[in-house]
Amino acid sequence: MPRIAVIKFPGTNCDEDVVNAFKRIGSSVEAKVVWYKEFNEKDWDAIIIPGGFSYGDWLRAGAIAARTHTMEKIRRSVEKGIPVLGICNGFQILVEAGLLPGALLPNEHGKFVCRWTRTVIENPKGPWLTLASSGEELDMPVAHGEGRFYIDYESYSLLEKESSILRYMKGYNPNGSIYDVAGITSRDGLVFGLMPHPERAVGRELVPRGFNPGGEVVFRSIEFSLKKGW
Amino acid sequence: MPLTPEEIQEIREILKREPTLEELAMFEAQWSEHCSYKSSKRLLKLLPTTSKRVVIGPGRDAPAVEAFPGILVVPKIESHNHPSAVDPYNGAATGIGGVVRDILTLGAKPIALLDLLYFGEPGEPHSSWIIRGVVKGISDYGNRIGIPTVAGDVWFDKSFTKQPLVNVGCIGLARSSELLEGVVKPGDLVVIIGNPTGRDGLLGSSFASKPLAEDTDSDIGAVQIADPLTEKLLIDVIGELVKSKLVNYIKDLGGGGLTTAISEVATEFNLGVELELDKLHLRLDLTPLEILVSESQERMMLIIDPRNLGEVEKILAKYELPYSVIGAFNTTGRITARFKGRVVADVPARELAKPRSMRRPSKPPLEALRGLTPINDLPRVDPVDALLKLISSPNVASKKWIYEQYDHEVGARTVIKPGFGDAAVLKIDATDPRGIAVKGDANPRYTSLDPFNGAANSVAECYRNIIAVGAQPIAIVDELNAGNPEKPEHYWYFEMMLKGIAWMADELGIPVVGGKVSFYNEDHMGRQVKPTTTIIGVGVVEDVSKALTMEFKHYGSPVMVIGVTYTEIGGSEYLYRVFGLETGEIPRPRPSSEIRNAKYLIELVKRDLILSAHDISIGGLGVALAEMSVLGGIGVEVDLNSVLCRGCEREDEILFSETQARYIVELKPDKAQIALKLAEKMDIDARIIGYTIKEPVVRFRAHQSLIEVPLDKLSQLYYNAFEEQLG
Amino acid sequence: MPLFKVGVVVTYKRELRDPEGETIRRDLLLKTGYDRVASVRTGKYFEFYVNTNSPEEALSYIKEMCSKLRIFNPIVHVLEVVNIAEDSSN
Repeated sequence: MPRIAVIKFPGTNCDEDVVNAFKRIGSSVEAKVVWYKEFNEKDWDAIIIPGGFSYGDWLRAGAIAARTHTMEKIRRSVEKGIPVLGICNGFQILVEAGLLPGALLPNEHGKFVCRWTRTVIENPKGPWLTLASSGEELDMPVAHGEGRFYIDYESYSLLEKESSILRYMKGYNPNGSIYDVAGITSRDGLVFGLMPHPERAVGRELVPRGFNPGGEVVFRSIEFSLKKGW
Repeated sequence: MPLTPEEIQEIREILKREPTLEELAMFEAQWSEHCSYKSSKRLLKLLPTTSKRVVIGPGRDAPAVEAFPGILVVPKIESHNHPSAVDPYNGAATGIGGVVRDILTLGAKPIALLDLLYFGEPGEPHSSWIIRGVVKGISDYGNRIGIPTVAGDVWFDKSFTKQPLVNVGCIGLARSSELLEGVVKPGDLVVIIGNPTGRDGLLGSSFASKPLAEDTDSDIGAVQIADPLTEKLLIDVIGELVKSKLVNYIKDLGGGGLTTAISEVATEFNLGVELELDKLHLRLDLTPLEILVSESQERMMLIIDPRNLGEVEKILAKYELPYSVIGAFNTTGRITARFKGRVVADVPARELAKPRSMRRPSKPPLEALRGLTPINDLPRVDPVDALLKLISSPNVASKKWIYEQYDHEVGARTVIKPGFGDAAVLKIDATDPRGIAVKGDANPRYTSLDPFNGAANSVAECYRNIIAVGAQPIAIVDELNAGNPEKPEHYWYFEMMLKGIAWMADELGIPVVGGKVSFYNEDHMGRQVKPTTTIIGVGVVEDVSKALTMEFKHYGSPVMVIGVTYTEIGGSEYLYRVFGLETGEIPRPRPSSEIRNAKYLIELVKRDLILSAHDISIGGLGVALAEMSVLGGIGVEVDLNSVLCRGCEREDEILFSETQARYIVELKPDKAQIALKLAEKMDIDARIIGYTIKEPVVRFRAHQSLIEVPLDKLSQLYYNAFEEQLG
Repeated sequence: MPLFKVGVVVTYKRELRDPEGETIRRDLLLKTGYDRVASVRTGKYFEFYVNTNSPEEALSYIKEMCSKLRIFNPIVHVLEVVNIAEDSSN
């Protein structure tokens, strides 16, 4: 059975929600919360860095966690072809660690924002999006204070050409992200980072009227990918 | 509040000698109003606290109530009014910290936060500063510790401009098998975990037990800086310690610091304790006196069997959480504290923990007569205008600006989210269909006009809000925010509010399992803020997929009012926002109607006849219908003549009366007859008053007139009014 | 009227904790070997550009504004002017 490490730093708070998301879609992968110091690269087929406020979000969101030995190990895992997903604070950590391009700045309106948004996935590639189709609407809630994606035009053009982009739909950009970017993958799709919370958009009950459970495809995709390849 | 000469004499008698400075500080902390409840204890005994579901009642840091077989819910309420007046950001944040730690002491997992906030008008510069600070404080702290803030109550009134009320609640869940009921034995070790102790918060409880000083700069000692990261580590560590069954007892180091925590435990188990104060991990050099009463935040006390120390230390090391082992329990019944070998305090635990309760004189003030002033000959006003004023009242308008700053989704269990239901509904587990409903309520205007009936109405409203989402209420906790107990005219409000809660809770059969009292809520001129009773209620839902939100769902659904309307305009939002009046007899509490109408609504849910429900509260029927329309984006047309209103002669009485025990429900299109028949059978006053319509308007037909407001206008005001007023 | 740049820093008072500074030191600096840093305090920096006749006037104007509008909370914060200079960039 594929094994997925859900990394917990001091201040991470969505670790159990991610584990539960696999349970709620009836997945048979073994997803386990791993305390950052106890993470051993050899034991895992995929890695998820969940949301929260690692080290209190102090200095900059994700900045301190990005400088830990654990992130060094995760960088080596990526080099060996292990898929990594960063959700919210996890995305911030991946960006701070340089595993994904760009930066995540304080929201344009200066406040934390928690609300449901609609996003569209473009050019889905890699193990986290195997079952998604290009142009598919994925609804998920966001909850962050520093989620405004920024990238220079040149790097963006590259991103648009080579990576998957998760984009807020018109009228749903909650933080002023440039080009409405909500999430991006590495060129090979192995590393995926996004600000919205897929684990909170699984199963009908948690989804408000008028939205779809857009997080499910991420968890189904990784299970599918780990079992069948991508 | 320093000890009185009589109290010092009493301490001499207890000790049979002159007390040391350290001992005096311990008594001052422990006998402060905040820690000892000396002014309220006697009256608190009036509250009904038991039911078949209550597993742990009041007395511990938190109570426990059985929600489902084997599943306990642990609700707790706290106030942080005084700290929030001087440092809104840290004051509110540390309030959250304290209430969460109380939940942890029972080994429960905190799953939801509530905030009940009472501010000055949003446009006033000082209150705007307080509002922003408090909301940011709750947001930064609650979000970081990973507990969703899912519900609450917000109210604006000029009496709160300088002294806001910041009441916060936390709800925990525990399996019966994991509940830490706790037993302490002689020989057990005292381990303090969390933040190193500093001078911050020195005698903070004593600070909370006196009026706000004009020059608050001198109260620096009472200010505590919030550290949510350490709080989060405490949550994680305690979760792991409880699962591994490594602790015998847990206590928060809150008000009164080490002194209060240790004396309460020693008293509960009839034990003594020997402490070595110099072993405590400190942030800076402190005197033994400071160590005994410091209220540094994010600290907890674990009491463990010495045999488990090694395992406990392993877990603390894993999370890199600082700790120290500072003493052990014994059978002496005395608290003996040493500092570098010298005994600095040696006091009997029982006498320290339990000061004599005080009988405070109470007397109704003249201004209480405002609550008896009849409302006569109100000038006629344009009802459309009135409705627009009400929907833009900050007490009514959407609080999106506030709740969107809270992560209300973390935990992935929030089924009914803020803004959509009368209460929040949370799943108890990822794969379990069952859930709990929670809500907090108060109406400061009611309680200031008529504290007894006002407090009773707070209980009733909370009950209705839980019913309206299709849940069954099982328990409440209360917070009484009052003035200076030494002033008989202030104390009277406290006394009447408490009796009002006791009466209504008894009538509804809902136990009051915990609560808090906050006195000295007055400004530096000695004026009390509006005395306010806040209630947090908990209910159970068998199937969260059936829980009800309030927004209209379809066109063409019958709209029904449950309950009779009376001409109860006194103390209403209408009277205040339209006429500037805060007088009159407030709506009468109607417990028997509450019970019957609630039963009927739950029956409608069970039989699957219903699409949405909303309780009628401030702003009356008019506002309730407008809210359901705005939230659903669906118009509605009702005939005011079909509303069963006794004694009503005017439209505004039907539209804006705040009579209790009423609901509006949207029925499934073809179920009106069945619902009416059921009402007849159950002897319920329920009427179909109109239908949801395709046209985007809210329309009321009256005898001679047609009252009509476009939905987009209402929406615009409802969603933006508060933020615009805040500036 | 000349334009003056007034740079102010708002920090928690010395006697109060600064959890952000403590975390940066403990979890970033010490863990990466920068153990000669004895303490870290964080704060917020503001740069105000103000039209006044003199630097003294600029200073008192900004100080009054910051207190009156509660740009800092005098109960927990200190406001420190770290630089003041005539702005010649325009």
